Amino acid sequence: MPEWARERTWELLLAVILVGTIVYNATQSPVYLDVDNFVNLFRLSIEKVIVAVAMTFVIINGEIDLSVASVMAFAACVLAAAYESGVPFGLAIVIALGAAASAGFVQGLVVARTGISSLVVTLAGLIGFRGAARVLLEDRSVGDFPDWFGGLGRDDFLGPMPFALVLFLVMLAVGGVILHRSSFGRRVYVIGNNADVARFSGIDVARVKLVLFTMSGLVAGVAGVLFAARLGSVRANIGEGFELDIITMVLLGGVSIFGGSGTLLGVALAICIVLNLRNGLGLANVEANTQTGVIGALLIVSVLAQNLLDRLPLRRREVEAEA
Amino acid sequence: MRPHKLLAVMLSLALVGAVACGDDDDTDAGTSGDGGSEGAGPAGEAVTIEGGDDMNSILLPKCTGIAVFDQANEGAQEAAEELGTSEPEFLGPSTCEDPTGQIETMTNAATQGVDAVMISNNAGEQIQSGVDAATDADVSVVSWDSPIPSGEGESLFVAQVDFDETGVVMADMALEILGDDGGKFAILSASPDAANQNAWIAALEDALEDEKYANLELVDTVYGNDDADESYNQALGLVDSHPDLELIMAPTTVGIAAAGKAMTDEGLCDTVKVSGLGLPEEMREYTQSGCAPEFALWSFVDLGYLTYYATYGIATGQIEATEGQVFTAGRMGEYRIEKDPTRDQGLRIVMGPFTLYTEENIDES
Repeated sequence: MPEWARERTWELLLAVILVGTIVYNATQSPVYLDVDNFVNLFRLSIEKVIVAVAMTFVIINGEIDLSVASVMAFAACVLAAAYESGVPFGLAIVIALGAAASAGFVQGLVVARTGISSLVVTLAGLIGFRGAARVLLEDRSVGDFPDWFGGLGRDDFLGPMPFALVLFLVMLAVGGVILHRSSFGRRVYVIGNNADVARFSGIDVARVKLVLFTMSGLVAGVAGVLFAARLGSVRANIGEGFELDIITMVLLGGVSIFGGSGTLLGVALAICIVLNLRNGLGLANVEANTQTGVIGALLIVSVLAQNLLDRLPLRRREVEAEA
Repeated sequence: MRPHKLLAVMLSLALVGAVACGDDDDTDAGTSGDGGSEGAGPAGEAVTIEGGDDMNSILLPKCTGIAVFDQANEGAQEAAEELGTSEPEFLGPSTCEDPTGQIETMTNAATQGVDAVMISNNAGEQIQSGVDAATDADVSVVSWDSPIPSGEGESLFVAQVDFDETGVVMADMALEILGDDGGKFAILSASPDAANQNAWIAALEDALEDEKYANLELVDTVYGNDDADESYNQALGLVDSHPDLELIMAPTTVGIAAAGKAMTDEGLCDTVKVSGLGLPEEMREYTQSGCAPEFALWSFVDLGYLTYYATYGIATGQIEATEGQVFTAGRMGEYRIEKDPTRDQGLRIVMGPFTLYTEENIDES
């Protein structure tokens, strides 16, 4: 089956699952279909889904960034530490975002220049930047941010939507155009399919990777700052384990873990499925552990289904050949 | 529902309000607990909380999978059965590490429009957005075990014991174990955002100012996030970083058991003792071996029971969450709502008392 057909089939399947989830939830809880509930279900996980947009690029490129949750915490802690030491708040945000982008840049540099697997490099980042966050704030919880900052995290920004949700939708649109309509996006796919071929056809592979990792760091930083705004206070251990939830959403979206295929639309659908599922289970008073189990099962089934999808036409061809 | 009762309650409240305003209620914040009782004199009739109305509620622990919270759930279920209402849903995050799970449950509760949420807050001030959502949706929020720091949106805090007393109890146990010569000790707490543990540690530090404890030296405070593994490692870390440490004081049942196990495993019990707040069934071994000669706790079953009664009373309008309100909560007896002196704002009832566990009584429990 050609790549585009595989992707369309997958997106269709996700759309069916999403509709199924929504219909099921609606029958389970009368309040599920409230607009406020839809906003809330995004609001409660908005930092993860923002990072998932950047992660989609990285994984399609054939790499992975395990450090995102640590970079989120790192950025939030830099923000808190800078503000605490008297830096004006606006400047503290700029410093925090700069620190996060640098974290991504450094990791991208190592991946691009040395060829060490990004799995290893960003695993080191996961440990290192979490450590840096702990060094900055130790065990303390730092809060008392300016009121407007708390409002940014909690108040409605556009209609019923908070700022972070609007930002996510904008990122999704812009990301979609870049990934699927620009030459940069095409290069991301080509490298993900086969980096050697990309290199021989004159693509500056190192440069693309450097851009992607820096972007991933920066987006994680934005998510970290928004997380701080929503929570109202910051601790070094915030967002621990988020990287796995984020990668789950991307893979469920039909992005191949080996790179080269997947669409942002698929990821957006997967995000909606995961969030609606969690929300529905939550409203049905299902325990947190069971929720995690259900989402884990969904991922396994989806990866199996993708595998099956890949083989299906092949078998048919074999059968035809035999006949 | 019950116009007469409601009227009586409202009248009593008006009276309490009048009396309270007549008093210099701002200046005596420190002793408001006692002042409240006299102020409530005329309205002091205890309201006996009775069943009849249904209440949909959620009991939200710091996290699931911790023995004391299961016990609190037992108590709440018992109370619900007595009152003939729907069983409270026992829902919480699976780890105590991540406070966002509590925010999510609280926000979902608001969406569901349940009647009440009973929370042991593990998210510090971060819980506020969830609590605000709940109060906007007319959900009664009652905290137990660990309060909402701001007191905003929370009707009442059901305190297990007086928080200042906790500090004194811990200081006394430290003195008892270390002797009059004193020595160095460290605190192994739960998470840095746990309002109850933070208040107890502050109370302990206050208590240590007293001449009596002059020889006790608090050298460090570390956090094991109510995770057995992490607490175990933190306990060992304390011994490494303070070679002359003689006591680990853990104001959390997870921490104290982990510290007891760590000292026992490493054969350090002769030099480093363990104390704090612990569950008898989890501590028996260490108390009998002399590793944890003395520790304290209250009944979490009772705490869950009392919390449910108080919440039911508030959610069904039988009592008002105001200073001076007196009510009878089933088998637990009478309680009076008072200002919470440990916070700037907020009301509380205090359950009490402490039980001290030593080698002598550990078998009976």
